[in-house]
Amino acid sequence: MVTLGFGIVTASILALSAVAFTLQYGVTNVANVAHGEILTVGAYAAYLVHQRTGSAIAAALAAAVAGGLAALAMYSSVIGPFIRYGASPTVIFIATLGVSFVIQNVLVIFFGAANVAYNLDPGAPRNVGPFLLTPLDEEIVASAAAITIALFLIISRTKFGKALRAVSQNRELARVTGINATRVAAATFVLAGLIAGYAGFILAESVGTFSPYFGFGFFLITLTAAVAGGLGSAIGTLAGAVIVGVILQVVPALPVPFVGGYVSASYNLAIAFAILALVILIRPRGLFTNARRTVFE
Amino acid sequence: MTEYLVSVLTEGAIFGIMALGLNVIWGWSGDFDLAYYGYIAVGAYMTLVLTIGPPMAPAQYILGETLPYPLAVVIAVGTAMAVALIVGSIALRHLRGIYFSIVTLGAVYVIYVIAGQFVPLVDGYNGLSGLFDPMGDWFGLDYQTYQYFFMGLSLAVFVVVFLFMWRVSGSRFGMALRTMREDERASAAFGRDIYRLKLKGYVLGAALGGLAGALFAAYLSAFNPSAWSPVEIIVLYSAVLVGGRGNIWGVALGVLIMGLLVQESTRFLPRLPGLGELDAVHPQFLLAMRGVIIGLVLVLFLRFRPQGLLPERRFVDREPLPAAVAVETRTA
Repeated sequence: MVTLGFGIVTASILALSAVAFTLQYGVTNVANVAHGEILTVGAYAAYLVHQRTGSAIAAALAAAVAGGLAALAMYSSVIGPFIRYGASPTVIFIATLGVSFVIQNVLVIFFGAANVAYNLDPGAPRNVGPFLLTPLDEEIVASAAAITIALFLIISRTKFGKALRAVSQNRELARVTGINATRVAAATFVLAGLIAGYAGFILAESVGTFSPYFGFGFFLITLTAAVAGGLGSAIGTLAGAVIVGVILQVVPALPVPFVGGYVSASYNLAIAFAILALVILIRPRGLFTNARRTVFE
Repeated sequence: MTEYLVSVLTEGAIFGIMALGLNVIWGWSGDFDLAYYGYIAVGAYMTLVLTIGPPMAPAQYILGETLPYPLAVVIAVGTAMAVALIVGSIALRHLRGIYFSIVTLGAVYVIYVIAGQFVPLVDGYNGLSGLFDPMGDWFGLDYQTYQYFFMGLSLAVFVVVFLFMWRVSGSRFGMALRTMREDERASAAFGRDIYRLKLKGYVLGAALGGLAGALFAAYLSAFNPSAWSPVEIIVLYSAVLVGGRGNIWGVALGVLIMGLLVQESTRFLPRLPGLGELDAVHPQFLLAMRGVIIGLVLVLFLRFRPQGLLPERRFVDREPLPAAVAVETRTA
């Protein structure tokens, strides 16, 4: 049960990151490989602000704002221009891989490659229903749930959400009806960046350390969750994140014969990708979608 | 200065073989393969476990043979091809575009994590070491002369690979790969077995990767997870892209340019005002600066000159068209 408790924490962070990724994919039809760096930038911003002010709330806000700005910069400087130039999704995929490489190295230049310790006092663990959670864990899960609900209200109830769905489903048709697709995509990137930046902050404090490469590692797991749930589908992605998050925590705890009953958490990536490869080969559109691309159904 | 030149030429030759292999997969077949660095690593690891002898006490790894270096290289290349055959037969069957890239990214991370974490295989994070001057004692070479010998060997292998690729480039096989890249459906309609063709190209590329890895292992005399990272593949991609994807002369030019750019640009950077202090602050500064330059070059070339400096030659039929066809195409 302890393991499952951790699983819920991982899953809720993963859910925020994966939903943010899938929103970006939805409006542009491009997989943004530099998505992980939004989390990294959020973590660094939170750490710096936390050191100056000592306030966790200010740190969370800083992470979100920095993430939003980073995502907007990615869209307006690379992804947007490439789309307008008519580049294929694969070419933009390669370009965002380059962007990810640049951001990682810029962060190394300014902050060094070493891990930064970022520990908040987690408080004493206690039983919440079937789970054993610390107050910090509870805050993480609760905030992730609140953000997800708010996001779904935005997507389903507001005019912007309607435009977002329209652009995701059919960019050309949306433009014909007078929606400024470029502006909607940029706004979506800001929204996704706010969420991903905050996800970087809670990921850093739940792991306890971070480095310039930490977002990229988590991006690989994010990708698994998003693809498992169906790229572009927000609800599917949520379900994918919960499943992948729990599997990642439960599987390493299982006894594995050839390593002597102990599996390092570093195998997480290998496990995640085994899931990913299986899903892509068996159900390439995701476990929960039948349609080609849907954001909210 | 000569020592520097020797090391640059040796590294350049090895890097060039890697780039030529990647060019088969990305330049001709047109698949953005992220697992490629995994095949280089397989080649390097295999060469080491086949030549350095049985493991000593705390270290543990498989095989531990003391085969002659050339034989080890052949087996290493074969192993890299076998791994590529497995990955390729899964990834190439139905997947294209970013889905192919994502699955190959997964494959390389699985290789990376297993090599780094599963200790009995290649001693985990410690990696392997102890391949000193392979073939040196056959010719009775001392340490100094050996550097020249190995440079000559690497350059010779590069030239052989280059000439071979030149043949492949103009062969029916090379043409078929390109047709497939341009239009898979049309190529299939003309009777090409797309899956087999792509798989052949993929394994051929991986073989060159394994070969370069085997040379790399001898050059470094050791190999471990900190010597390679799946993300390093970006450097190779930028070399192929800058030179000219699909054109082997372009690939060679790209290796030259990126090699020089990477080596030389960072040499002058610390003298820029304001940056001098940062260099003193932490040792990764130059490496990171190199990464920023490579990433920027990749993005800018993709956007403004995706065909590279020496674009692939388009094969144009210069014979005049039959009159009827000519009229049709003119009116169309």
